[in-house]
Amino acid sequence: MVAVASMIILLWFLWDASSAYWYQFGISSVWAAEWYPYESLYGLLPAIIGTTWAMIIAMLIAVPCGLAAAIVSSEIFPTAWQGWMRLGMEMLAGIPSVVYGLIGLWVLLPWLQNSLDLLTGHNLLAAGMILSLMILPTMMVMSQDALRLIPIEQREAAMNMGMHWNQRLLRVLLPQAWPGIRSGILLGLGRALGETMAVMLVVGSLDRVPDPIYNILEPAQTLTSRIGREMGEAAFGSMHFSALMACGLVLAVTAICLSLLAQRKRSFV
Amino acid sequence: MIKRSIILVAMMCVGISAQASERISAVGSTTVLPVISQAAEAYHKTHPDLTITVSGGGSGVGVASVIQGTAQLGMASRETSSEEQAKLDGHVDNIVIASDAVAVVVSKAVYESGIHQLSIAQIAAIYHGKIKNWKELGGLDKRVLVIDKEASRGTRHVFAKAVLGSAHARAEGASIVSGSNNEEQMIVSRSDNAIGMLSNAWLNDKVRGVDVVVSGTAIAPTIEHVRDGSYPIARGLHVLLPHSASTATKDFVKFLLSEQGQAIVKQVGYLPVH
Repeated sequence: MVAVASMIILLWFLWDASSAYWYQFGISSVWAAEWYPYESLYGLLPAIIGTTWAMIIAMLIAVPCGLAAAIVSSEIFPTAWQGWMRLGMEMLAGIPSVVYGLIGLWVLLPWLQNSLDLLTGHNLLAAGMILSLMILPTMMVMSQDALRLIPIEQREAAMNMGMHWNQRLLRVLLPQAWPGIRSGILLGLGRALGETMAVMLVVGSLDRVPDPIYNILEPAQTLTSRIGREMGEAAFGSMHFSALMACGLVLAVTAICLSLLAQRKRSFV
Repeated sequence: MIKRSIILVAMMCVGISAQASERISAVGSTTVLPVISQAAEAYHKTHPDLTITVSGGGSGVGVASVIQGTAQLGMASRETSSEEQAKLDGHVDNIVIASDAVAVVVSKAVYESGIHQLSIAQIAAIYHGKIKNWKELGGLDKRVLVIDKEASRGTRHVFAKAVLGSAHARAEGASIVSGSNNEEQMIVSRSDNAIGMLSNAWLNDKVRGVDVVVSGTAIAPTIEHVRDGSYPIARGLHVLLPHSASTATKDFVKFLLSEQGQAIVKQVGYLPVH
């Protein structure tokens, strides 16, 4: 109850703070492509595209890897190794996000720049890769928990029926572990959408729509990076402030919609 | 129970007596930050009851914090705009404590390939995206990495006004946008094809300032050229002091303008006021 109430209060607060912006610029500002606060242009499109790409890249890398790590750890590894792997993942999950940003800046960006022969390593691919590193531990830990919860009788029954290892995994174990895996995915999604510090340092912060739209090798901007960079100087109550609050509102609404979408699929499993 | 409450009261008393020292926060330009930071340390030795916390964020953040009252001292490396001045007039003093030059910096590799001077028109062309490769200017054959700054930063205001025409001009040729002086210095020093804008106190072996050509003469971004007014991209460094600030804060600002404070300004690399 408290959770739902606080969510409603949060949404109301964001709406109230950004209403001046929506009334003046309307919903069409969501696909306006120019963000120049000093010229009163507040288009959200570049940042929305940036956030979407960073999230997609992060999920595409982290979800399969995390799931695979969980499967290997709980089904294949001997029990002794499971503890070490779990410990490693939990340590990774505890590292502050700004440290990931610094690692990205120091190690990942020069490597990307040199191996792909780019002008600069600051781009959406770098942001996605850093985010995937942050989501991976959560994904793996939650999937592993979900898999371990399945009673051993299920695996024995599958072996008795003569099922191959992969059949046992795909037909018996994963469907039962799916709710836990889905929670892991949702948590990871939330973090990918909302991570500010690390993304701000590596994404390039250039308010420009990628050209062409799938070009993830150019510097770009995300909603969180924009809020992080510009919130300090936006005078409280000004249009710039409302525009940044609108970015926050878009983020919150996106996160809620995605989690609702994922919950609805439950009825089809 | 009684013992616990006595300990609690004793702790509270210690806490309250520790509040006798004053804490103020100085927020804003990362150009002015080293001066205030070192001055605060020196001042704290002679006046231990005043603790000053110094943080960055940029001139825009400094002015906004003073307007909103969240900081007791603002730092800005540019003039206040007319809207900002309207909000500050009457209850905040704008005091110049130093001057410095905004240097146009290039990576070491670019400098060593022969780019030692650039005209304002050439710099503007780079930032508008018309010149894309250093070889067009006689340097090495590499694409130009154009580093722009966040629009609220004082350094960008001053640079844009002098080079691009107006303080908020667009830079269509920008490759990435950086924030503080430190961030920009790091990006320039780690690349071999970058151009950016930095206060002259941040120049080092990997980050070289080019001379700016004005009417045929190449003028280096040094303090002497700021003093005689020949360097075109120079500015005053401001401290914003609210009228409602405590006496200790006002004394600190007086310290900044005193001989000792101005010696610190000189040591950091800026031009003292007199």
